[in-house]
Amino acid sequence: MQRPLNRALAVAAALALAAASTAEAQAGLTSNTATVTLNATKLSTLTVSPTTATTSIASITDNSLANQFPDVGLTTAWNLTAGTSVNLVGWFATPASALANGAALIPSTKVEGGINGGGWTAFTGAPVGTVGVAGGSLQLFNQSVAGGLFGTRTDQLNLRLNLVGFPTTTAGTYTGTLNVQAIVQ
Amino acid sequence: MQLRVGRVRKPWLSLLVSSAVLALGAREARAQGGTVSAARVIALLATKTSQLSVTVTSGAVQSIPSLTDNAVNNFPSPVVITTTWDVNPGQTNTVNLMAYFTTPAQALTGGITQIPSSRVLGQMTTGLPVAFTAITQNAVGGVGTVGGSLRLFSQNISGANKKASRTDNLNLQINLVGFPTLAPGTYNGTLNLRAVTQ
Repeated sequence: MQRPLNRALAVAAALALAAASTAEAQAGLTSNTATVTLNATKLSTLTVSPTTATTSIASITDNSLANQFPDVGLTTAWNLTAGTSVNLVGWFATPASALANGAALIPSTKVEGGINGGGWTAFTGAPVGTVGVAGGSLQLFNQSVAGGLFGTRTDQLNLRLNLVGFPTTTAGTYTGTLNVQAIVQ
Repeated sequence: MQLRVGRVRKPWLSLLVSSAVLALGAREARAQGGTVSAARVIALLATKTSQLSVTVTSGAVQSIPSLTDNAVNNFPSPVVITTTWDVNPGQTNTVNLMAYFTTPAQALTGGITQIPSSRVLGQMTTGLPVAFTAITQNAVGGVGTVGGSLRLFSQNISGANKKASRTDNLNLQINLVGFPTLAPGTYNGTLNLRAVTQ
């Protein structure tokens, strides 16, 4: 009678041990690993930000160079994957009427620009790449990006009306839109 | 010649024979009742394997077509996750769902700059991170990575839900506020989802 009882006790102990080991295993039971693929694309960027959207001359002086607009700050930023230079171009959509006061017009030949006090040039140039209008454009800078495709620069855009030799203007307010756009080449 | 067998018509004889047979049987039974064989124990083991699985039912591929620097960039759709379990409630307190990146410093890799897991945030309104939370926690129960994990839920287990499932939405975003400007390009990463019992 003693031997069967011992054997039964031994089996019971084995079962208890087995159950205990199962409990340990279940406490750390792990599932399969599901995955989520994440894709995020950073596009190349090229931006121009003027400090002001409007610049004004309070009183035009005929036959004079002294018709300077307050400078406009321009920040040009780029983050590129390729290219050799960043070019900033100012241009009028319709060179013959850069500014208009009704039927009275001031052409782009009488509007001059420059960068950082570097001199004056009329907006009469050709487009740069696809940016600009023939006879109504001015390349403001050409910045090499050979040293890095990520950068920024801030410039002061100087603008004036050169009315020397220009017919007397009609009294009134002349308004126009100068486009400023950058292009990578 | 015709042989005829006649029926014995003696009922008392039949009774006598039957009684003798019963008496012999009883004696035999008494003799067997005194002998007991050795006990033989047969151990019965039947294992029901616990089950725990995670399935992404939709949103397994998440894309942001155009990242914006210094801004919060949301992935457009949630990741729908179904977690299914069949466990022993006596041995399992909770089922936990973990999200983690294998290499937290490079959760998404691209060009020069990498996006770390500290910039990838998860939100599960039905779970623990009800607000967007960076995936910067530690592993739970051996699942996850140090500084690159996020516990999405911890489901208490009882007899009532020992075999059950739940479906949750995980929203993801990349927070680039204050992060250096990213170089243009595509950044790729893999977010792992895995459940563990405790």
